[in-house]
Amino acid sequence: MKKYLILQKNIQDKMREKATTLYLGPQHPGITGNMMVRLKVEGDTIVKATTEVGYLHRAFEKLQEKRNWLQSFTLLCRFCVPEPDPVEESYARAVELLEGREVPERAKYIRVLMLELARLGSYMLWYGGQNGSLGLYTMGQWSVGDRNYILDLFEELTGGRIYHMYIWPGGVRRDFPEGFEDKVLRTMDYLEKRVKDYDDLMFDNAIFQKRTQGVGIIPKEKAVEWGVVGPVLRGCGIRSDIRIDDPYEVYDKLDFEVPTAEGGDIWARALVRRQEVRQSIKIIRQVIEKIPSGDYYNPIPNPQKWTLPKGDAYARTEAVRGEVGIFIASDGGTKPRRVHFRGAAYVHGITLLENLLVGENVADVSAIMNSLGTCPPEIER
Amino acid sequence: MDELKTKIIERIKANFQDATENNSFNYNRLDFNVNKTTVPSILFYLKDEMGFKHLSHITCVDWLEEGELELIFIVWSPVDKIKVFVRTRLDRENPVMDNIDMIWRQAHTYEREFREMFGIQFTGLEAPQDFLLEDWDGPPPMRRDFHTEEYASETFFERPGREDAGDVREEIIKRSGEEIPDFAKKYSR
Repeated sequence: MKKYLILQKNIQDKMREKATTLYLGPQHPGITGNMMVRLKVEGDTIVKATTEVGYLHRAFEKLQEKRNWLQSFTLLCRFCVPEPDPVEESYARAVELLEGREVPERAKYIRVLMLELARLGSYMLWYGGQNGSLGLYTMGQWSVGDRNYILDLFEELTGGRIYHMYIWPGGVRRDFPEGFEDKVLRTMDYLEKRVKDYDDLMFDNAIFQKRTQGVGIIPKEKAVEWGVVGPVLRGCGIRSDIRIDDPYEVYDKLDFEVPTAEGGDIWARALVRRQEVRQSIKIIRQVIEKIPSGDYYNPIPNPQKWTLPKGDAYARTEAVRGEVGIFIASDGGTKPRRVHFRGAAYVHGITLLENLLVGENVADVSAIMNSLGTCPPEIER
Repeated sequence: MDELKTKIIERIKANFQDATENNSFNYNRLDFNVNKTTVPSILFYLKDEMGFKHLSHITCVDWLEEGELELIFIVWSPVDKIKVFVRTRLDRENPVMDNIDMIWRQAHTYEREFREMFGIQFTGLEAPQDFLLEDWDGPPPMRRDFHTEEYASETFFERPGREDAGDVREEIIKRSGEEIPDFAKKYSR
């Protein structure tokens, strides 16, 4: 028995030598924000991954319970910095659902324009992040530079480049400035030319292909069950998009495709996003063409006295990272009883990431995280 | 859509006697109220038998005045394009609920958060205690009777010199007896 115990201890010691714990984050250039992934590695292969969060909690949801229905907007846009508009739109729509407030048709079109511009802007950042995680830095300099043209449009329309607080219950805050439509179309023409350059630099690059193909594979049959959403799900060959499946605003009146790709790896997800950029440009052109004239806002009462009926509502939006949703509950007062935010990263960044990383190489962690769109502020609100 | 909704209601009511429905929504949403013991089985049934494969959201609302916590599970059917809300109420004093992470793995994260933020105990949940909070000994912070400002003023001390909205530089001069440098004078109020 004693010999057996000694033998067991020797084996354990050897195992211990083999496995090393690596802490990726919370401050690491390869991580997508303020979170940490604790990796147990043997050689350079990951045997266990654990996501650690808690570095970023700002109690937004608690704070919103102390504010009136309108004051929440200054907090909502900060849930995820690269793409704040879907969160604003979800909240505004949830409030409208609960109250039964009508939104003018023009405002719906303007909202779609905002959402698609935000999608493009966010994809420009993704181009940089995904390539940067593989050591290809030129792409990020190009795309983040081009993103500024979209931010210029935001600035002209809303007054803010990153945070807009432009979509609010009943419509949007202001109408298009003079000549804005032409500027949008010119920017779209420019971006359409640029995405061809992006293809040459990124998708025709042998390094990018080799580093992304067959890495971070999500099995197609498990994807929906695991809570995979957005471009990541479409990268598994499943056609799923809230804009089509559960249409909101005026997406059912617009003509666009939902691109999918087979494989479930980083490469497939990148192919989906590549096509989605083109689809967004197509949608924006249609919005400019079809937008009706008329009101852009159905005024709300005095916000300090504005009460919503007792009940709850849940509105979902298709964002770049996937499904974004806002649940609100009202007790009939001037302030929310509860606001709860649902982001794609809540699933992608924890249970999915922990699952996917097992068996992968340490060098690929950052690329996998970028391809899943993990955004830590969505996990800790 | 209405036909589909009626069919779903009939199937659920035939299998779960305690389920009461609310079909007042004029869009693709259905609501069911159930006892907390029925939750795992109804969710399992919705997922495996009725195609509600996607767990869209789980949320918790504190109804302080009624002494209850409400747990709401929102599931989505990619085939029928309908979302179903499954609601249950827990006693606020002793909120205990069955763990459902064997149905959807991602429910694990929600459960960890609700354990910490609302104090709900999920039986069978195997996870480390700390999720978002570290070394927390106060009451569950997302409950309505937790007052953030009160907790902060009781737990943390005010930095000396910041009791009023006075100029911090003047306070430093007062305490240290040092002169304010010339270059900083023009910024002083």
